[in-house]
Amino acid sequence: MKSLKRFFKRLFNSAARRIQEERLREEIAEHIALQTEENLRDGLSSVEARRQAMLKFGGVEAMKQDYRAERGLPFFENLLGDLRNALRTISRMPGLAAVIILSLAIGIGVNTTILSWIQLIMLQPLPAVSGALNFLVVEPRTDTGGYPGASWLEYRALQMQLPALRDLVAFEMVPFNVGEKGQTERTHGQLVSGNYFSALGLKPAIGRFIRPEEVERTGTEPVVVISYDYWQTRFRGAPEVVGQKLRVNEHDLTVIGVAPRGFQGTMLPLKFELWAPATMTPALLGGARDLQDRTSRAFSLIGILRLGATREEAQTEFSTAMTQHARDYPEASAGITGEILPFWKAPRGPQRMLMTGLAILQGVMLLLLLAVCGNTANLMLARGSTRQREMAVRVALGAGRWRIVSLVLSENMLLALFGTGLGVALAVWGTTALRVAPMIGAFPIQFQTRVDGLTLAFAILLGVACGLIFSAAPAVHLARLDPQEGLREVSNTPPRSRARKVLMAAEVGLAMVVLIAAALFLQSFRSARQTDPRFRPEGVLLASYDLSGRNPNEASEREFAARLLERLRSLPDVEDAAIATNVPLDLHGIPARTFTVEGRVRTEPGQDRATTNTVTPGYFKVMGIPLVEGNDFAEMRDKAAPAQAIVNEEFVRRYLNGADAIGRRIQTRAGSFAIIGVARNAVYNSFGEPPQPAVYFSYRDVPAMQGELHLKTRSGNETALTSEARAVLRDVDPMLPLYDVRTFPQHIERNLYLRRIPARMFVVLGPLLLGLAAIGIYAVVSYAVARRTKEIGLRLAFGATSGRVVLQIIRENLGVIIWGTAIGWLLALVISLRAIPKGAVDVPVFIGVPAILLSVATLACWIPARRASRIDPMAALRHE
Amino acid sequence: MKQKTDVLQGTLALMVLKTLDVLGPLHGYGIARRIEQISGDVLAVNQGTLYPVLLRLEHEGAIASEWGASENNRRARFYRLTREGRKQLQVETQGWEQTAAIIEKFFAVKTGDLS
Repeated sequence: MKSLKRFFKRLFNSAARRIQEERLREEIAEHIALQTEENLRDGLSSVEARRQAMLKFGGVEAMKQDYRAERGLPFFENLLGDLRNALRTISRMPGLAAVIILSLAIGIGVNTTILSWIQLIMLQPLPAVSGALNFLVVEPRTDTGGYPGASWLEYRALQMQLPALRDLVAFEMVPFNVGEKGQTERTHGQLVSGNYFSALGLKPAIGRFIRPEEVERTGTEPVVVISYDYWQTRFRGAPEVVGQKLRVNEHDLTVIGVAPRGFQGTMLPLKFELWAPATMTPALLGGARDLQDRTSRAFSLIGILRLGATREEAQTEFSTAMTQHARDYPEASAGITGEILPFWKAPRGPQRMLMTGLAILQGVMLLLLLAVCGNTANLMLARGSTRQREMAVRVALGAGRWRIVSLVLSENMLLALFGTGLGVALAVWGTTALRVAPMIGAFPIQFQTRVDGLTLAFAILLGVACGLIFSAAPAVHLARLDPQEGLREVSNTPPRSRARKVLMAAEVGLAMVVLIAAALFLQSFRSARQTDPRFRPEGVLLASYDLSGRNPNEASEREFAARLLERLRSLPDVEDAAIATNVPLDLHGIPARTFTVEGRVRTEPGQDRATTNTVTPGYFKVMGIPLVEGNDFAEMRDKAAPAQAIVNEEFVRRYLNGADAIGRRIQTRAGSFAIIGVARNAVYNSFGEPPQPAVYFSYRDVPAMQGELHLKTRSGNETALTSEARAVLRDVDPMLPLYDVRTFPQHIERNLYLRRIPARMFVVLGPLLLGLAAIGIYAVVSYAVARRTKEIGLRLAFGATSGRVVLQIIRENLGVIIWGTAIGWLLALVISLRAIPKGAVDVPVFIGVPAILLSVATLACWIPARRASRIDPMAALRHE
Repeated sequence: MKQKTDVLQGTLALMVLKTLDVLGPLHGYGIARRIEQISGDVLAVNQGTLYPVLLRLEHEGAIASEWGASENNRRARFYRLTREGRKQLQVETQGWEQTAAIIEKFFAVKTGDLS
């Protein structure tokens, strides 16, 4: 109670400071006057009387200090005073403050943006779904380490077999042609199990969601749920959309509801617009057998744990179930086990590709921020030594060490605060920029990144940490100052601060590590691109067609492909044309299938698998893949030849021990095929992959509804072929759209897109970091030179040439910089050897980066040194 | 060093309260004189230390102050004891007497008495 009362009195006094101060002054004056009169009465002289009175009263200033401490709230008053002082100090150095605040802002902004991105992938893998972290990825896994997905029948069985999961959800990603014939629009959607929306706990924006009973029997209800964005853009948000028909893949689907805002499906970062019952698969995909065929592993599964169940329990149940499947359906499930993983560990999909890049990026960016701190500390330290006198005076007047530290701290914290504010603004801008959905070829991608509580807290934490880091050195330096020495020191003797040089070296070293990391990352990215794909993508145009929805049969599909190819080959600019079901380096990868081959007995359990592609004759010529043995496939209309297959060299090596392959038979689910040729290995799924066994089947034997046209031009100008190809297709089938037209190089770029995002950031940030290091060096050297104006003037007056002066300054500073560079270089070397154990050290990077860094550093020393050497010796000597 | 100041400050506050209790409203100099007369050298030097104590007592509500005229008709700040201060004085006097009595006994005890 009493202390509370005191507190309020103090608070009030803090406000009414001046009046109080006046009162004390008056009281002291009166006290001394009375004492003086007393002394006069005792017979002292007037001067002596006053002197004795003063002596008796004691130290006025010390008492005042006590009085003030008693009166107000010294801590807050000091803080306020410090902040006011800090603001004044900062406004006296606008240029320096701007550099510090801006570089901090960039560092904090970039870090916060990346964190929001990582956070999105790790903590919000299902946008608009609350409790998304409770969901687990349920992934069948082959014995070769692949993740093939689950079949529908397997999913239905697993629903029963995994009691630890409250819900198990299946979905498949499908491309849709929406609209009437001839004017269709390509959209992406998901075919989903009946519990999809209820398990995710979503509420429809309007209408209702798919009911479980609608996904019980095949083709029960032709219904579709549309995304919020789709509703807004295509239907202008009209509520009458519910009940309307939407023509999808030439089937009428009734719109029953709209998904909540922000929901973009269950395959981050892909953005889907339509959701239809999985039982619509045969109808929408032209008789696809996904629902009955156990080898068609088209579905992805996610599940949510029952209350109280653990992931380990679910994993045990899943393993047991998969063992049972392998026993019951060996042709589809032999050798397939399974893993239940948290979402962010999902073994396939785009988020996986992004995560690695982002993690590296975040690490590098934190290092960059550390470099910014080093820079700032150095600048503050340099400024700090001009203030030695000021601080010495403060200490001499009775300021405690702690007061000095808090003074320095408040200045730096204020700078850090400004930097953080600007950085958060940058992060808000950055996350908004990331939300804009770019198209990766046919796939729309969206990151719903934003600055929320967590990222904001991160930004503030970074800001405070930075503030503390770069205050530490100057604060310690100034607080240790001996006031006598500080006052005596005349400013023309150069203060040789070891701390400043150590910091400069540390910063340069850090820059070195980051720059080498960035260069190595870029280098590996570029070398991935320059790797020979072992086929020739140049001059090849790709385009897709899709016969689903016109009830094709094998004969009509074969005939369609044959006619199309004949017409295309007759075009003057077409050197050759082919059709294939898969294109190498596709974003989803090429399927691998199981088979048995004559002359091989598998000893280990499981089944042999190989990448498969079904191609027309002429494919190898178009792709520039030479046949090392045997011949190309028989003509499309050849009815006599038996079913054929062509394998690659890796296949022969791995499965036939290099024996003669020609004439052997391959047995798959689709039948028996005779090997008629061996093709050279090529790249199938990604650059830098180890050689993969592959089997090519002939379109003649196993025609398909969907096809990828490959057109090789004579002129090399493949884009010019687009309109001609469209015209040809219109001739063959007037209603069929040709979609996803792209050149082969464009197709490859798409594959690299996700890897390119972090690579691009490195390209921007590398120079930025170099710039920061240069600013740091420049600031330190120019400051040191300014302090030595008199000395330099003296040297010049004694006949030193300006060249010698410049050389000496550069030599002094470069020595420190070289130390830093060497340490950074060694560190980077160790890291690179650890990170890429078998890879050779990238010599150009390890020589080039230090060369660039040292030349920039030399330049940053040279500019202030040269300016100093140009001064007039007379003026310099009069300095001070 | 600090310890000593604290003890002094504590006793000083008590002395101030007692002075005001006995002599009625007084200004700072008057209080200082009185304490000096009675205690001798406690306040012979550093009379200034009195003022922070006065301020603290005022914040605690034990004393109140107002401007008045001093003996030579100049403006001076007069302090007087409040009702709360009187209570505090009583409590503290008791406490002090107890403490003093205990301490006195301790000093009175000789080694032989305890065996």
